Amino acid sequence: MSRLFEHFGAEGKGYAQPAPMLPAAELNVPSNMVRQQLPRWPRLSEPEMVRHYTWLSKRNFGIDTGFYPLGSCTMKHNPRVNEVVAQLPGIADIHPHQPEHQLQGLLSIYYEMQDMLAICAGMDAVTLQPVAGAQGEFTAVRCFQEYFRHRGEHHRTKVIVPDSAHGTNPASAAMAGFEIIEIPSQEDGRIDLSALRAVVGDDTAAMMITNPNTLGLFEQDIAEASSIVHEVGGLMYYDGANFNAILGRTSPGLMGFDAVHYNLHKTFSQPHGGGGPGSGPIGVKEHLAPFLPSPIVARRAPTDDEKNQCVDDYWYTWHTPEHTIGKVQQWHGNAGAVLRCWAYYRRYGKELRTMSEHAVLNANYLRHAIHREAKAAGVDHLFVDGADTIVAKHEFTLSLGPAKEALGISAMDVAKGLLDMGYMAPTVYFPLVVPECMMIEPTETESKETLDTFARDFCKVLQLDAETLHNAPTTTPVRRVDEVYAARNLCLRHPFDDE
Amino acid sequence: MVDQLPNLGREEEMLKEMGVASIDALFADVPESVRMVGDLPLPDAQSEEELLADAKRLLGANLALGDQPSFLGAGLYRNFVPSCVFQLVTRGEFLTSYTPYQPEVSQGMLQAMWEFQSLISELIAMPITNLSLYDGSTAAAEALTCAVRVHNRKAEQKDTVYISELTPPDRISVIHNYCQGAGINVEMLRHDENGCINLEDVQRARGSCAVYVEQPNPLGIIDGGYPSLKEIIGETTALIVGVQPVSLGLLEAPGNYGADIVIGEGQPLGSPITGGGPLYGIFGCTQPYLRLMPGRIVGRSIDVDGKEAYCLTLSTREQHIRRHRATSNICTNETLIALMGAMHMSLLGPEGLEQLAVRNMAACTQLKRLLAGVEGVTLPYDGQSHFNEFVVELPASTSACLAYLEANGVVGGFDVSNWYADKTNQMLVTVTDQTSQRDLDRLVECLDAWTQEVSA
Repeated sequence: MSRLFEHFGAEGKGYAQPAPMLPAAELNVPSNMVRQQLPRWPRLSEPEMVRHYTWLSKRNFGIDTGFYPLGSCTMKHNPRVNEVVAQLPGIADIHPHQPEHQLQGLLSIYYEMQDMLAICAGMDAVTLQPVAGAQGEFTAVRCFQEYFRHRGEHHRTKVIVPDSAHGTNPASAAMAGFEIIEIPSQEDGRIDLSALRAVVGDDTAAMMITNPNTLGLFEQDIAEASSIVHEVGGLMYYDGANFNAILGRTSPGLMGFDAVHYNLHKTFSQPHGGGGPGSGPIGVKEHLAPFLPSPIVARRAPTDDEKNQCVDDYWYTWHTPEHTIGKVQQWHGNAGAVLRCWAYYRRYGKELRTMSEHAVLNANYLRHAIHREAKAAGVDHLFVDGADTIVAKHEFTLSLGPAKEALGISAMDVAKGLLDMGYMAPTVYFPLVVPECMMIEPTETESKETLDTFARDFCKVLQLDAETLHNAPTTTPVRRVDEVYAARNLCLRHPFDDE
Repeated sequence: MVDQLPNLGREEEMLKEMGVASIDALFADVPESVRMVGDLPLPDAQSEEELLADAKRLLGANLALGDQPSFLGAGLYRNFVPSCVFQLVTRGEFLTSYTPYQPEVSQGMLQAMWEFQSLISELIAMPITNLSLYDGSTAAAEALTCAVRVHNRKAEQKDTVYISELTPPDRISVIHNYCQGAGINVEMLRHDENGCINLEDVQRARGSCAVYVEQPNPLGIIDGGYPSLKEIIGETTALIVGVQPVSLGLLEAPGNYGADIVIGEGQPLGSPITGGGPLYGIFGCTQPYLRLMPGRIVGRSIDVDGKEAYCLTLSTREQHIRRHRATSNICTNETLIALMGAMHMSLLGPEGLEQLAVRNMAACTQLKRLLAGVEGVTLPYDGQSHFNEFVVELPASTSACLAYLEANGVVGGFDVSNWYADKTNQMLVTVTDQTSQRDLDRLVECLDAWTQEVSA
């Protein structure tokens, strides 16, 4: 065990720095503002620090470590050149308050990304400012709100979400002050149009939905759903978490959506970094464009003076939309993440569709392989498809309900068993509409061999007896962690001896 | 593209095995009426080499601050980040992992984030810290909505918060967006001519849900009035203080002068400015706010063998469980950047932090002294203490001054008229640990020459 707070070296040990320009005694801090006790931080020399964090890294599982089929999260390979690009001084050492003429390169990339994202989603305008998918949702819903206020439609207070929606959808709409109407899905997990018809009305502001949905199914009635919502004057919001399944095959615009958020970190691969950063731009149709956060990037022909500073045929400028909602992040969003995703996009260009096709190919292949191997191993009675469908999209769900009933083996047990086999476990217990749910998303960057091996190993886990699985994992840095203990005996920071 | 897809060229084999006729058949469930026809109107795919060449050309056209003496700050600061931070944070096990839903194989990041919470708790003197919000502005906004959740029931001024009028307008805009959904009324607190908060005006905030101020304030001033704030506003109004974390090597931690919630832009510890993101928002609070606070929290626990282990805790506040009743919609946060912060803090140690703060404030003090000798330039808040930035009043417009400086190879400070339209001649000048004596001399020399030019 390496613990950061056990490295208390001699006073002053740590990072060597140049001497200050003036001695501390000459600095004039108001007497009541002088720090009385420095933070009780540990003191590490560089070798100790490097070894501590290397030790920690070895106790962490990433895509680089192994297969990471975490449904909904799109854990695909992160090309390393993207890290090189994001650390170039022309982005790392850039301040968002620098004037436009000092940032033409960055602005041109922003413009290119706005343009590309609009094309891919069939939208008319894009802002790159929201820094995560959930913030994109909130931003779009705020734009809806201002749009309705602008039209004098203050009575539109309700946002409809299917019960299979990501938790962020209702949370984001509620943060913007909307009332949430949750509608049940059909037996097969798809949207129930009659349930939708029953709740829409004058008070409908919007419907938020992802397609393919969280069960990995394409919502075939989506155009009809859009019509139902539009007929009562509401707006359609596309949660882009699963956009990687359909890019280049269809678009939210074609399906009738008015706004969309992109999870750039999923669709275009910004490393997920243990929980972030992400990037959640939104795209909107023309009627919502005046409400986007400010600023977005526009371009025009350069003046004669500007010509020598141009990076191409245009001059790029920050533009404030006419009825902007203002800012959702203080600067211009996660520029570093946008850059990585730009680098990712450039590797595919017009062939982005191939990326989606392979995501869907791999998901369907893995689903097939799991059923094939389960039959061969005689464990096919222990799970069923989470949804009855011929084809899945980029992910699929399995229900371990039968295993639970027959053997007392839960989805969580299987997940822990998979950890022992050297995999990250799939998402479990989401969506809530599938009992003992396991949600599997292989992504396009896994080979057929990896998928075949995983399918076999998945079945090997199902062949284990219940007791073994209840005890799993046994080969990981720690075994099952007691979450109840954590909540009851809250220890959220290093306890010092005198506390 | 070819190098990113392992199954390229094996589609037939896989489809045949599945008994599916074609890739198109996998998309048969997409109704014809919504299918995209034809190729995406986008350029050809690029190899890594071509991409890198384009990236270098385009980003090379930006003016990187390290290339010239620069004095731009106003919320984001160019501090040095030690080399090991970049080396370690790009280890694939950290870089390519995600939210630790499976704690058994995520102990590394969980422990690192628990240590981050411990480091930040010590820094700001708060018992509870989450593992980051998006940035300082969203942390401020979430702090205000959190305070309303906690205090609104008993508040005399319901759904009302007070923020310093000096809060940067872009940050106020974020606050407005977050507050308006919850129906929160945002009032402004006045400042005196000396740039410090008007303590009498703060009386108005009694009975409201929260007061938000920043230390140092956006004019760079270390406001000595803050220790009186908590007493003025009372127990049932949250005191929220926004901090520049490096300053806390010299300045008292807000937890020690009555703050209930402390937020901050974490960037100066561990991260380059990166065009304004990704950054990381600091959020710490006292016990009464714990169960209504936003963001992920790591707790120390044990595994079934009684071995020390870490996991996410108090998740029932969060969107994936509580849905529309969650305390925030945040899901993806800024863990990796917070990790960079933790690494930087571990290397600095307590005395290293103090020295970093001293270096910042020493350069600032030195520059103030030097500018006193430049005729035509005045310091409107000269009597105050400044940590690493301060306002100068120029004899002509700031935009003209900035153009002159740029022509002479200096990136000047922030044009205050971007915040307050009538302050056309004010510039907020910032130094960091990266500012050298030569940089200061160059700025002073240029300002001297420019003021002579404009007064001639």
